[in-house]
Amino acid sequence: MSEYSVVGQKLPRVDAVEKVTGAAQYGADVHPAGMLYGKIVRSKHAHANILSVDTSEAEKLPGVRAIITQDDVPSGRRVFATDKVLYLGEPLAAVAATDPDIAEEAAELIKIEYEVLPVVQDVIESIKPSAPRLHGDATKDGPNRRNISSKIKELSNSEADDNSNEIRKLEAELEKYADEVYYNISAESHTEAGDVKKGFAESDVVVEDTYFIPRVHQTYMEPHVSVASADSSGKITVWASTQGPFAIRSGIAGTLGIPLTQINVIGTTMGGGFGGRFGVIITHVPAVLLSQKSGRPVRVQMTREEEFLDGRPAPGCVIKLKTGATKDGHILARQALAFWDSGSVSGASIGSTIRVRGVYKIPNIKVDAYGVHTNKSGTAAYRAPGAPQAIFAGESQLDDIAEQIGMDPVKFRLMNMREEGDAVPAGGSEPKVGYKETLEAVADAAGWWDREADDNQGWGVAVGDWTNGCGPGGVYVSVHEDGSARIFHGSMDITGTDTAITQIIAEILTIPYENVTIRRGDTDSAPYSTGSGGSVVTFTMGNTAKLAAEDARRRILELASERLNTNEDNLELRDGAVHVITADPPKSISLGELAAFSLSTTGGPIVGKGSFARQPSTPALAAQIAKVEVDPDTGRTRVLKLVASQDVGFAINPMAVEGQIEGGTVQGYAWAMMEEMQYGENGNINPGFVDYRVPTSADLPTVQSVIVEVPAPNGPYGAKGVGEPPITPTLATMANAVNDAIGVRITELPIKPEKVVEALKNNGHEA
Amino acid sequence: MAKHPVSLTVNGDEHDLLIEPRKTLLAVLRDTIGLTGTKEGCSTGDCGACTVIVDGKAVTSCMVLGVTASGKEITTIEGLASEGELHPIQQAFIDTGGYQCGFCTPGFIMASKALVDENPDRTEEEFRHALGGNICRCTGYTKILEAVLQAAEEIRATS
Repeated sequence: MSEYSVVGQKLPRVDAVEKVTGAAQYGADVHPAGMLYGKIVRSKHAHANILSVDTSEAEKLPGVRAIITQDDVPSGRRVFATDKVLYLGEPLAAVAATDPDIAEEAAELIKIEYEVLPVVQDVIESIKPSAPRLHGDATKDGPNRRNISSKIKELSNSEADDNSNEIRKLEAELEKYADEVYYNISAESHTEAGDVKKGFAESDVVVEDTYFIPRVHQTYMEPHVSVASADSSGKITVWASTQGPFAIRSGIAGTLGIPLTQINVIGTTMGGGFGGRFGVIITHVPAVLLSQKSGRPVRVQMTREEEFLDGRPAPGCVIKLKTGATKDGHILARQALAFWDSGSVSGASIGSTIRVRGVYKIPNIKVDAYGVHTNKSGTAAYRAPGAPQAIFAGESQLDDIAEQIGMDPVKFRLMNMREEGDAVPAGGSEPKVGYKETLEAVADAAGWWDREADDNQGWGVAVGDWTNGCGPGGVYVSVHEDGSARIFHGSMDITGTDTAITQIIAEILTIPYENVTIRRGDTDSAPYSTGSGGSVVTFTMGNTAKLAAEDARRRILELASERLNTNEDNLELRDGAVHVITADPPKSISLGELAAFSLSTTGGPIVGKGSFARQPSTPALAAQIAKVEVDPDTGRTRVLKLVASQDVGFAINPMAVEGQIEGGTVQGYAWAMMEEMQYGENGNINPGFVDYRVPTSADLPTVQSVIVEVPAPNGPYGAKGVGEPPITPTLATMANAVNDAIGVRITELPIKPEKVVEALKNNGHEA
Repeated sequence: MAKHPVSLTVNGDEHDLLIEPRKTLLAVLRDTIGLTGTKEGCSTGDCGACTVIVDGKAVTSCMVLGVTASGKEITTIEGLASEGELHPIQQAFIDTGGYQCGFCTPGFIMASKALVDENPDRTEEEFRHALGGNICRCTGYTKILEAVLQAAEEIRATS
């Protein structure tokens, strides 16, 4: 039996009733009196000079109350494009009207004259000297240029002579430009440990391949939305659907040059985020500007199409990867060269390329990564940003090595996994992490060791690692005269974190879970809280909540000591009351009585305060196994079984933890098999759910989740952040299963039926 | 734009409204009547977040013009609980953890209700396919299916 009574239990979430009755207030449900409807005017070209913007016709439309362009941004910070647009859907202006249909009509009436420029949407095309330049002029001294010829040469002298496929062609093309200066490069990141040349030379087997991972959209179900209201005193209130209200507050303040505390951000119930809901300019700033100009509250709500055109999705990338190992299964060296598609702005998880290292002892490793501009919107985080892409390459290649040396893929991984005390590249030594336990758990649960497969069926395994972040937060807890407790904080609930915080406080105060309620404040009222991303919330706010509850307990014991006239050492808090340990007959006082008593003391009510910023986190592992069946004629892959295990440290609410594992795994499945933002000659061509398919319940079977608990030393009750890890291995899990089923290694995601058919054809299969 | 008289019954309440013909049933429910429990996820009938029940059938309300719903009986998520008691489907979504962010949940619950009302004897596989018009991005569907099966069983047992 668990030593705890509330944490570790599958309890219904604190927001259960409001979520199933339609009462929860999401961003678009906010409707202040007099509210106008905003609409953003977007570029119709992926790359063009803007010759003119004419708003005169739109201004005449009855019901239009405000039209804004970059001229209305007093700080001069870029909110709208002026001289040039860099992607289809880039904002140029915005309107506010009394009705959403009028706002849309007005947006259509704004006349924009373009001078269309050549477009580049592929990272490899974009780095070539001949590519159109997105930023700066065409001189050799312009920005965003690097000499990367040596990096390409290092990896391009392949011994393979197979020039038939696209990958070889691409490499050949890169070699052609190897002596040139490359352009449109927005950022770079380099890591090196050991000596890869030596490692490859000592290897018995060297495998290399190039992996293509598409840009995908987080596809949270609630499109971006904000409602802003600027009153005549200059005070600004923003109801924002965001993962980080405090970040939105400072973002608006910085962008518009408004004092921080003149802005109050109210985080509305969030309809999914997955890392994509931190942007400031996307809807919040236009809503504020429209409200300032019109003097009315304004709602700016994106359509699903706008989400695909101007959301901030996960970057696609091309990763060339090479791995060397001995024939008895020791990985000796790994080298990667990656180009990440950062779109029109810089920043695209390029630092995550080092995750090709995985959780393995690899003595020699070298990674060179570049962010590359293309005519697409910028990118943002998506659940373990950058990890699924890098791990797809790393874990796909591990299976190819295992196959070449004739070793079981699970055993091969177990043999190479880092162990407690191993030196870690960043310094220090490896903590205790359930790497092997998690992989063994999934293998056992899936039936890996006695797996069977009919024709065209196969099994795939992969693991992915991620470490939760950490950040500042504050929590208050008050105990009331009826013995209940109320929590007050400012972090956004990211599908279950409010529940975890509540469970922790109920546990420490030894009162029933139902007697603890939680209230979120806005940025005007709540203590600062870090954004709800990077799997930080349970770790950070859990620790903060613990401190707050312990602080309340101190006051509770102090009051009881005064009331019961005994030393605190004789007192124990349990079952919602303070008991005198040595009393016979038993003597106790309930929390409610103590809360009532506190009101007449000199010390005052029971208020616990917790404030926390950081402690070192511990890595988490997700391990997954899929069994699939591939129809060689149609290329269609059907999932027969999908099992996902994860080292979660400690599951504060196992039901919520399972939900994270199941949901993350299905998102990984979708990236592997279905999803891809596609770009034609003029930008994104699949901005809707018909052409950008995400999975439904009809697409795959039940995901079986397996919780592994190897406690994290600094986590609350040993808990680790659980949201991000489960998406990390699935891309490779699926590719490895398809490879096992039909002997075809797909390196370009998603694994669409036509690619499977094509690959089989190249292998000599006749449909 | 000229407005047209429309009479709707929503969750048992009659509404006599004047609405523009271009307004969808979703817009009428959310903006005119103020029932915001029904969600807008795509506006193209592809995600199911706006599912409501019209004369016993689940429909995506973003694909129906408000004027064409005149004279019809509509149930939204707000009309499901009765006398303070949650509907068994709502309770099942809570018990199983069949929701996370909750944005798709009203649509899923309404779609599930129409399916269970029509035939609670469906197999898991049948429910999986029948719910294929609703997108959830958080749960991976495992717990949603558990919820629907639990509710169907309860409804079978009590009917």
